[in-house]
Amino acid sequence: MCPLVLLRWGGCCSRLLPPPPPGLWSARGGGGGGVRWRRGLFSGFPSAASHWSKVVSEAEKIVGYPTSFMSLRCLLSDELSNIAMQVRKLVGTKHPLLNTARGLVYDSRNNLQMRGLVVLLISKAAGPSNGADLSFQHDMVSGIYSSQRSLAEITELIHTAFLVHRGIVNIGELKSCDGLLKDMQFGNKIAVLSGDFLLANACTSLAQLQNTKVVELISSAIGDLVQGIYYDNSNLSEENCLTHDIGISTWKEQIFLSHSALLAKSCQAAMELAKHDAEIQDMAFQYGKNMSMSHKVCFSLLDTLNEFICIYP
Amino acid sequence: MCDYYFDGKGKAFRPMIVVLMARACNIHHNNSREVQASQRSVAIIAEMIHTASLVHDDVIDDANSRRGKMTVNQIWGERKAVLAGDFILSAASVALARIGNTTIISVLSQVIEDLVRGEFLQLGSKENENERFAHYLEKTFKKTASLIANSCKAVSILGCPDPEVHEIAYQYGKNVGIAFQLIDDVLDFTSCADQLGKPAAADLKLGLATGPVLFACQQFPEMNAMIMRRFSLPGDVERAQQYVLQSDGVQQTTYLAQRYCHEAMKEISKLRPSPERDALIQLTETVLTRDK
Repeated sequence: MCPLVLLRWGGCCSRLLPPPPPGLWSARGGGGGGVRWRRGLFSGFPSAASHWSKVVSEAEKIVGYPTSFMSLRCLLSDELSNIAMQVRKLVGTKHPLLNTARGLVYDSRNNLQMRGLVVLLISKAAGPSNGADLSFQHDMVSGIYSSQRSLAEITELIHTAFLVHRGIVNIGELKSCDGLLKDMQFGNKIAVLSGDFLLANACTSLAQLQNTKVVELISSAIGDLVQGIYYDNSNLSEENCLTHDIGISTWKEQIFLSHSALLAKSCQAAMELAKHDAEIQDMAFQYGKNMSMSHKVCFSLLDTLNEFICIYP
Repeated sequence: MCDYYFDGKGKAFRPMIVVLMARACNIHHNNSREVQASQRSVAIIAEMIHTASLVHDDVIDDANSRRGKMTVNQIWGERKAVLAGDFILSAASVALARIGNTTIISVLSQVIEDLVRGEFLQLGSKENENERFAHYLEKTFKKTASLIANSCKAVSILGCPDPEVHEIAYQYGKNVGIAFQLIDDVLDFTSCADQLGKPAAADLKLGLATGPVLFACQQFPEMNAMIMRRFSLPGDVERAQQYVLQSDGVQQTTYLAQRYCHEAMKEISKLRPSPERDALIQLTETVLTRDK
């Protein structure tokens, strides 16, 4: 991997995009999508934020390399410069893709790519299975199989693809304050294409793993993600806000689909790649599921507290 | 939303070729007219991948009609349309995994990548006239022919162990696919919107220079400037249409399609005779004479 190209891309974007203002979160739900700036779980608590960074860099040392630009690795191609060029044209518009791109460039230092890291860690923690023969184990680097590393990348690719796809606007619902129709259409076009590009790369990398169970697991995770996002969108829309009353278990199911299924199934798939048995696979699944559910619940809690503080300063 | 395009109103051209090819290969190998479950799966998966790409393409092109009715994005909005496309793709991938054959997974995943790269090729353009045609053919392969070629190859792998047969299937699919798209590009000029089921002169309005335009440009070099600015000035689309209809662009493109069909026929004739093989041969003629 050549870091120079990535730095150039990052540099080109950072010259064009103003840095995010210091302090709090971006406004919730603004413009219909885009990533929120994640500064670790405990932003606003400085010692906790640096603790988080420390934990993550320790983790990165364990797995052998920094995971920050993982999903951009595949973009070392013509399509990368194409995408970057097209995203530049969106500067000055209000298309959410710009926010997503900004988040990807700026938060890379603040560990946006957490999922890949978790997959790598759990792969190393589980180690080789009892049944695996020695020749298979030779494929390990820093205690992780190359197929597992590939899987970690695939997980990030899928996650990023959906971040991008979430930032698409409904043309029919645009108001004049949202900016030019042409800009929005163009932004949509680039968002769809970039997301599809990432997904296509995920698919071909999955195929290269030569393991049909893993392909099935991860493909079903993509389906889960779509369903989850669909529920997310329905819950956010205006008409549902006041009258929609979903119970806790439904909410948990929906959260699982949109935030948890990917990591849970990736952890399970990582075990499958190392030929671990069903029990270990299930443990990995549960870890991934509970980890990501708690992450999401924590965010929701902080979001609510944040809003509370804004209303009652 | 996902059911919307699976209502049988499409031509189902791709699955038909795939099933015919499956039978032809099975007969060639061991005289069996049965289609294996896995081959049937491939046909379904091919149509699903195709549909997913259509849904996304309609968002990208901001299209409002397809197959004679409104597009998914027109009715439900762009956000849901993109999600629907992703969902269809994931369902196709799950089905693909369940076939249980890693080679088949590789072959069909290649299609997904080609489809996306084809869209990117369409975004960019070549300044050099000579490169334009090669660029156009490459884009045509990636966007249209790759799916047909690789699905044919996939069913041949499932039906017959002979790599020569796989190559025959692939070449047939590739040539038919390119011919199909070339005729599609011709119909964009010669047909009217009602017949096609989608708006006509759509390619020009999207700024795309297809076969008829590129051939016409050889006779009318004034078109070069229009091509380079992707027909963006008012009046460009109408003028380009006029040039094309005055030139022999349509005829030349049709002739090129004929040559691809001929090549496809040559390939498929190498298989053992069967009603399916003959159907595939006849299909190449249908591709040329269709009007929608």
